[in-house]
Amino acid sequence: MLAYTFKRLLALIPTLLAASVLIFLFVHLIPGDPAAILLGDTATPEEIAELTHAMGLDRSLITQYFLWLGNVLQGDFGTSIFFRIPVLSVIADGAETSILLASMTMIWIMLIGIPIGILAATRHGSWVDQIASGGAMLFASIPTFWLGLYLILIFAVGLGWFPSSGFPSISDEGGLWNIRYLLLPSLTLAAPNAALIIRLVRASMLDVQREDHVRTARAKGLHPTKVAIRHVFRNAMISVAAAFGFTFAALISEAVVTETVFSLPGIGRLVVQSILRRDYPVIQGVILVIVCLYMIINLLVDLTYARLDPRVSLK
Amino acid sequence: MNLRNWIRSTALASSMLALSSAAFADGVLRYATVGEPPSLDQQVVTSDLATTIAHHMFEGLYTFNASNSPVPLLASGDKISDDGKTITIALRKGVKFHNGQKMTSADVLASLKRWGEFGSRGSLLFSNVESVDANGDYEITIKLKTPFGPWKNLMAFINGGPAIYPASVIEGKGKEPIAPKDYIGTGPYKFNEWLPNRHVELVRFDDYSSPDGEADGYAGKRVAEFDALRFIPVSDVGTRVAGVRAGDYDYAESIPGDLFEELDKDASIATILNGGPIFGLVFMNSKDGPLKENFALRRAIQSAINKVPALQIAIGPEKLWRSNGSFLPEGNVWYTDAGIENFSKGDAEGAKTMAAAAGYKGDPIKFMVSTNYPFHYDTAIVYTKQLAQAGFNIDLQVYDWATLIEKRAQPDQWDLFFTHHGFVPDPILISVMNDNYPGWWNTPEKAALKAKFTATSDPAERKAIWSEIQALIYEQVPTMKTGDVYTYNIASSKLKGLGEATLIWPSFWNVSK
Repeated sequence: MLAYTFKRLLALIPTLLAASVLIFLFVHLIPGDPAAILLGDTATPEEIAELTHAMGLDRSLITQYFLWLGNVLQGDFGTSIFFRIPVLSVIADGAETSILLASMTMIWIMLIGIPIGILAATRHGSWVDQIASGGAMLFASIPTFWLGLYLILIFAVGLGWFPSSGFPSISDEGGLWNIRYLLLPSLTLAAPNAALIIRLVRASMLDVQREDHVRTARAKGLHPTKVAIRHVFRNAMISVAAAFGFTFAALISEAVVTETVFSLPGIGRLVVQSILRRDYPVIQGVILVIVCLYMIINLLVDLTYARLDPRVSLK
Repeated sequence: MNLRNWIRSTALASSMLALSSAAFADGVLRYATVGEPPSLDQQVVTSDLATTIAHHMFEGLYTFNASNSPVPLLASGDKISDDGKTITIALRKGVKFHNGQKMTSADVLASLKRWGEFGSRGSLLFSNVESVDANGDYEITIKLKTPFGPWKNLMAFINGGPAIYPASVIEGKGKEPIAPKDYIGTGPYKFNEWLPNRHVELVRFDDYSSPDGEADGYAGKRVAEFDALRFIPVSDVGTRVAGVRAGDYDYAESIPGDLFEELDKDASIATILNGGPIFGLVFMNSKDGPLKENFALRRAIQSAINKVPALQIAIGPEKLWRSNGSFLPEGNVWYTDAGIENFSKGDAEGAKTMAAAAGYKGDPIKFMVSTNYPFHYDTAIVYTKQLAQAGFNIDLQVYDWATLIEKRAQPDQWDLFFTHHGFVPDPILISVMNDNYPGWWNTPEKAALKAKFTATSDPAERKAIWSEIQALIYEQVPTMKTGDVYTYNIASSKLKGLGEATLIWPSFWNVSK
């Protein structure tokens, strides 16, 4: 497994290089000038050109790319045009929120999605299954911005139990207690994702339930719960594991609507804001990190497959 | 755990949640902003959001009182020579910067020089400045090439204005905004931290040296009542409103008109109108395309538009807008009705005849607008419809703001573009007066009137000349004003000292909760 992991990690290098070229080109081909945005509405073309020159953005794209790539290879992602601090520090700040939010959301998804999915599969066709499947469809259809705003209205404005928005770092005043800021956003994000996991667990388990080894286990007189967990659920988890991996990556990079509704300083909102203000170094840095994240999660999912299913060989 | 115990624990946990939220917020004003400013460097950045934050940190030699007249802030007084060309400004003594250093004429000199060369509005004054010198530690002299009436207004307008920084910070700095570590001013609050996407935080400056006198607009006594001011970016308006209602924010800006009546009735919330209205402007291209030098065609476009329906749709409640053609609002010293009979005719048939007479043959007219500001887009949609009814072939091009800014600098890319303008206390600061602003209005008639306007300090004479300039704007139509918009903010009713309206930007000295 070690050799396989090492080989896969090596294969990341050419993929990342190709991604870096694409990211750089796409970012620089978007119309718009960071100098013009920085200087505001009254700046003259001469003033904008002067600042563009001072920031080195008037050099050829090839020169700029290799300068950027050279610095990235040394661990320097550059300085944010907007915030005037290192890009890595901007990303790290956003990553704290996004990782905590994604982790909390994953906990909800697992706590809600797996038991209800198992219940729906084991009681297939009963009223329990009908309610679980119907509920899953309902939550999968609710737009997150709508659900988020209603959770704010009920639990923050109405009952006053939770903060309506924002997220102070857990290293700030309040410490771990600041996690409460993420409770409503994580529930908002969990609703549609848990619904999908319910349906996925249910469908996978129903598939596995029809297989011979399950029939044999039942014929041997094993307890139905033992059959459901040890023989059905474990085999059904192979497809669910892949879904978990990519859901986690998507929660980190694509939670922009929920981050906007709850005003969370996460990665998704950072990308969108950086695109709007043409903060090239931040856009490039964040997207490169997201690409890495997807690749690593892909690798972890493959490794998990092998763990869950001995028939999968790592070559 | 039985049910009763569970309910008890839940209730206790809820109370702890509520209490802890309140405890962390003590002495801190939490202001929900629409986004983050590009920088807080007041000399080069003209974003209103930047000034809303930065004018608590940075001060200029002058500021505005409640009547929008310039009065001393870091200055203690001034004298002007009989020929109007030499201005001597005395500085207040004992003023300290946030780094503990005392402010002297060396700092003022360095700040004015950087602003004059690189500041957003500095060239307006400094193109007419012969020299700036220090006379000892607490006096400076500005020598002008010709008398320049609006000098004090320009000095008092902190947005893109001459904020005073320590010489050690500002010397050698160019057009690039200074970095946050150099945010050192003389204001009642000092810079603490800027955490991307989280907040900008200012904290009370204990050695602040306040000007004397009763608080009057931005003038007079300034007391920092809060321990800290925290400006938090909350881009979603629903969240800003819910945050104030939930007690998570004390103040929230830029609330849409359709919520005004509901919020105005809410006893737990105060609605605060922004005293200086903003106004939309549709610029016309004087350098290229069918509108170049064709003033008759521009007047035809102007005649086709009725501004009221667009204001009703884009802004909403009548309390929040005025169909006012004067570039400065009613009640302001610069208000004039010169030319405003042409402001909002809405005469489609007349416009059609005028356009034909001007040689218009139905060629496409490129109209750029951005969706970043909903009122720009909504207004442009109404205008496009009205112009189509008058026979104009409008090619509406919708971009994000950054793209629009880039395209408008290229004369061959557009014929009309939509932007808006903040309230300014002197017409010289309106963008159409700047010959280099996209649109590039620079006719001999404008040049002659502008020279007369800046050469005199006499208020009555300046007002008369401004009336002539406004009439010329309606005749040559370099831009079309779309009406006054009174944006509004909301605040928790617990805040004391806010007043019913802001002067230009909200200020939080002399405010407490």
